[in-house]
Amino acid sequence: MNAQPDLSRRAFFTALPAVTAGLAMPAHAADETTPHWAMLVDTRRCIACQACTMACSMENVSPEGQFRTVVATYAVTDQAGKTGLAVLPRLCNHCEEPPCIPVCPVGATFKRKDGIVLVDGDRCVGCAYCVQACPYDARFVNHNTGKADKCTFCSHRVEAGLLPACVETCVGGARIFGDINNPQSDISRRLAAADGKTRVLKPEAGTNPRVFYIGLEQQLDGRIDGASTADMMWRPDTQGA
Amino acid sequence: MNTTVEVLGFAREPGWLPWAVQYFFLIGISTAAFFLSLPGLVWRHPDWRGISRRALLAALVCGLTAPVALLADLHQPGRFLNFYLHPNLGSWMAWGSFFIPLYLLGLIGYAWLCLRPLLAEMAKRPSPFAALYRKLAYGGHDNPSAIKAAALVATLGAVLVLLYTGMEVMVVQARPLWNTALLPLIFAVTAMTGGIGMTALFEALTGNLKSAPLLNQWLARGVWLTLALLVLWLVSGLLGTSTAAHEALAATRASFGWLVTGGWLVGSTLLTLWLARNHQNSLVMPALLALHGAWLIRWIVFIGGQSLPKMGSASQSYTLTLTPDSLLGIVGMAGLCLALYIILTSLIPWDDQANA
Repeated sequence: MNAQPDLSRRAFFTALPAVTAGLAMPAHAADETTPHWAMLVDTRRCIACQACTMACSMENVSPEGQFRTVVATYAVTDQAGKTGLAVLPRLCNHCEEPPCIPVCPVGATFKRKDGIVLVDGDRCVGCAYCVQACPYDARFVNHNTGKADKCTFCSHRVEAGLLPACVETCVGGARIFGDINNPQSDISRRLAAADGKTRVLKPEAGTNPRVFYIGLEQQLDGRIDGASTADMMWRPDTQGA
Repeated sequence: MNTTVEVLGFAREPGWLPWAVQYFFLIGISTAAFFLSLPGLVWRHPDWRGISRRALLAALVCGLTAPVALLADLHQPGRFLNFYLHPNLGSWMAWGSFFIPLYLLGLIGYAWLCLRPLLAEMAKRPSPFAALYRKLAYGGHDNPSAIKAAALVATLGAVLVLLYTGMEVMVVQARPLWNTALLPLIFAVTAMTGGIGMTALFEALTGNLKSAPLLNQWLARGVWLTLALLVLWLVSGLLGTSTAAHEALAATRASFGWLVTGGWLVGSTLLTLWLARNHQNSLVMPALLALHGAWLIRWIVFIGGQSLPKMGSASQSYTLTLTPDSLLGIVGMAGLCLALYIILTSLIPWDDQANA
């Protein structure tokens, strides 16, 4: 009887556990390395050019007058009478504890494993309850679809290995997007370097945002007691397109 | 301290439109009117017999109209199916989609059981609808036990509707004007005054003025309670015991528009109280003011509450337009109420002679 087949069989069975373990290992490892997307906004680099606003509108075909991201701009005067420009790029904060999710009556809003909060357009009924619950005014009911709309971190681009449109277009490099689970990523290194100097919007809301800011004044991180030139700003709905 | 001028702000338009105001107004009135129908129709209290009949009419008219506003607010009415296909039971709104049919089915069943003897009586009269009345009467028996059972179902539905409509708004922490534990109570109490107002209006329309003192007595109690709750909210905001109320006051204190709105609310509420107490035989004016008060509270809470900025300084003031989701929606809901009133009063007599 030829021993060769026996050896092969033995070798096969000996190797089997290692093969199955090997097959399982990458899957386990993949769980550990699932990215967690976040954004760091360095307001010191932002010049309020609204290029991000336009890039987002073009990329996501936002209806006229409705924006997923904007750069709010303020004239701040200190006690000495010196006035300077302050900016606040705003978008969905992709919170760790998103208040928009539990209120949705049909479970259309959900948070993916990679941290991105999305809206299932097929399921959304356009009730706008999530719009009310968002502390950051990041959501709106899309005029064209009649459904909830918001920043998705350009998930379709991210899945294709691209950066979100607003990050790609930012002339000053003020928006840094990346995986905070990866300590070697640009965003992780910058967050580590800016340790203690980053802020989030409305920390008291307990939503644990995943959009961080450098150079954000506390005075600007929520509702602001101050004048608004809103009456002078262009509003397509009231002033016509 | 630094001063800030928002050079470029982005205020969101209201997500909940006047449809929401109309829905909360009508469903609240309907539940309150249903409660007013109980003393006369379930417990057979003679003083309430006539009032309860008109209250049932008010409950039906408003209860059948209210869900139309809700469906219209979904932009595409067929979307309501998703409430039942994919319910998220952690959301008060999802629970509401079950409470509304519970209440309305209970109310319709209760109304039918109460009206059966009258329908049988109508079937005996010469009328082109005699056959229809006969079928609807289904024997025409007056069954107090069945009425009590249906009233119990409708009561459960009504209480749950009042609970969810208050809680749904109260839990929104992002809106300081909404996020107060007093809101469900304010909604419930003003629903009661609105329900009394609508019942009183129907009393006036059917020419039954003798119930005015009793209705005005209850209206005055409701208005006192409303004032007490408003004062409690104001004190909690001024003292800072309620962070949300404090924040809401801070956001509105510099606004002349809010000052006028607050003055209008308090003034009209006091006027309602004065009329209810000093003109006890009057029905129309206290009724209209009670309806005005219930509607105004909801308008201030929803439309006013959404105008306060969550971020930045730019507020989004709402203006009524001649569009379906604005002024036409409000008029449309009123028109639907009127149409239902005409249909129901044409088919069924609701005055006291019907009891004979």
